[in-house]
Amino acid sequence: MTRNRIIDVPLAAVAVLVYVSLYLPILLVFLLSFFSMRRGKVNWDSFSLSWYAKLFENDALGEALWNSLLVGSLAVAAAACFATSAAILVRSQPGRHSARLLEYVIFLPFLLPPIITGLSLLIYFREAGVGRGIFTITVGHTLFVSAIIYRIVLTRLNALSRNLVEAALDLGATRMQTFRFIILPNLRMPLLTGGLLAFALSFDETMITLFLSGTDATLPVRLYAMMRVGFTPTINALVTLILGFSILLTVAVALAWRRNAGPAGKTSREGRT
Amino acid sequence: MVAPDADSRHEVAGDRTPLLRIRGLGVRFQDFEAIRPLDLDVLNGEFLTVLGPSGSGKTTLLRTIAGFQQPTAGRIEFDGRDIADLPINRRPFNTVFQDYALFPHMTVRENVAFGLRVRGVARTTRDARVRDALAIVELEDLGDRYPAQLSGGQQQRTALARAMICEPRLILLDEPLAALDATLRRQMQRFLKVVQRRSGITFVFVTHDQSEAITVSDRICVMRSGRIEQIGTPRDLYYRPQSRFVAAFFGASNILEPCRIESTGEATTMVSTPFGTMRVDGPPPQVREGLALAVRPEALVPAADDTCNRIECEVVSVSFVGSETITELKHPEARHVLTMKTRSNPSARHPVVGSRLEVGFDAAACALVKGAQE
Repeated sequence: MTRNRIIDVPLAAVAVLVYVSLYLPILLVFLLSFFSMRRGKVNWDSFSLSWYAKLFENDALGEALWNSLLVGSLAVAAAACFATSAAILVRSQPGRHSARLLEYVIFLPFLLPPIITGLSLLIYFREAGVGRGIFTITVGHTLFVSAIIYRIVLTRLNALSRNLVEAALDLGATRMQTFRFIILPNLRMPLLTGGLLAFALSFDETMITLFLSGTDATLPVRLYAMMRVGFTPTINALVTLILGFSILLTVAVALAWRRNAGPAGKTSREGRT
Repeated sequence: MVAPDADSRHEVAGDRTPLLRIRGLGVRFQDFEAIRPLDLDVLNGEFLTVLGPSGSGKTTLLRTIAGFQQPTAGRIEFDGRDIADLPINRRPFNTVFQDYALFPHMTVRENVAFGLRVRGVARTTRDARVRDALAIVELEDLGDRYPAQLSGGQQQRTALARAMICEPRLILLDEPLAALDATLRRQMQRFLKVVQRRSGITFVFVTHDQSEAITVSDRICVMRSGRIEQIGTPRDLYYRPQSRFVAAFFGASNILEPCRIESTGEATTMVSTPFGTMRVDGPPPQVREGLALAVRPEALVPAADDTCNRIECEVVSVSFVGSETITELKHPEARHVLTMKTRSNPSARHPVVGSRLEVGFDAAACALVKGAQE
């Protein structure tokens, strides 16, 4: 008993410390987006949504939000196609050197420091004569988030019995029918979770985007630009909104994950014609 | 051990034409020869079991027939047509997989209907045929369940219905009962046999379990190291194994050796063993060297007046194991101890340890086997 306490009490203290230092600044930003502060103390009487109102008057921010959503959706869609094809290819050729190589190529942009990825892409696009904008940001994000979707899709494929494909072929299905009726329905949940996670990553991605954005800024890039001009309480409101959206996405991923892990029944009755 | 109608099965299987003709079929993985070129005929309407220990090539043989594995040599003819180059989805027969490979996102009904659906069969026809198939495997009430909601036996029956739905003339079964517990296994063995006989579909069934093979098969093909060791009816393989491997695979045997041929007739062979001269019924052996005489423990009985092969022994031990009594016997001239398994009888006198006992066996209940000691 006492020995447990000797370990438990300091452990709890460390945990509290970690959580406080992690979340206190976030809480502060959250509070400061509604209240003003005077001499290091929050003035509780000063509640107002004025910073949010200012935020919505700012057209540049609205455009940045739209850019973020657009880039996120395009990048997730492109990455989903690319990652799914790659995962199916790797799964069907296990142990092949070419499959291993493909896997490395997919993982590399995720593992490399974003500054390297961003810089390399910047140089590449400049040499190729491609102007910076939504397209270049989307390409950068696609490379970056493919690894996430790939990993989740591959995990699901590995969990599926290889015999399923053989069974479908054995029953007379063509390759196309096997993909449509057998593989794809089983990838709906991993594609949903992977897509949400990838979208969240794309939504928050700053470093690669900085190099590739040109005049079309995404939300984090706009935020960064605002910070450089000077700190205004509007930034608190913006950070709170971004935070709220990210938390929402994370919760959605967690929920989808839980459904995914549940029994493979009931969730997918589509796939019939 | 042997079903009562084993003999009639033999006759039925004997006069059928081959549905599947395999000639010189070989499969090689780099340096490893999984299947050494072999010939095999699967007769129309029979239940053929491919039996062998793991690594014997039995599953590779099945997968090659199904088309999942490309042969490196030889031909596979189905109904007179060479199918070696036919892709999996155009081969006119279906497979039941060891792990059933049921589609997890489809109901039982959708799983069973799959073969019809990909062929574009109209929904009304499809529904009717699925209903019939589910009735055959006794799953009418579970059509809307998902595979995860089924027991092992029900999954197994779903897989069977799915394989039967397109009315193939041949179904390949890859150790379909391996995942079931012993009781369910025996039930499913009977069930498979009944379904096979009623439907008239030819079954090629792979297993490593010899008692299962004996229970369900019309014929058994024993494989070992990529070769066919022996093909025959369960009774043939049990009582007349041609090799020591087959004899041992189907249970314990008394091996009488060295065994030298004294004379051969058309249907009988006289051999000399350390236990005396014995008569063996059956066609003369193909080889004359390295032979041994195999006698099942239950074929050994206390000698009666008409017993032709007699051995005078000393009783070494007697153990009562319920329905059977196992007696160990020793002959003064021979190194080996013989095992005799007799049905226990409460009123009979047990042999006394140390006493002499004359035992014998029928000339038809023993076999000359080849192959080294293992």
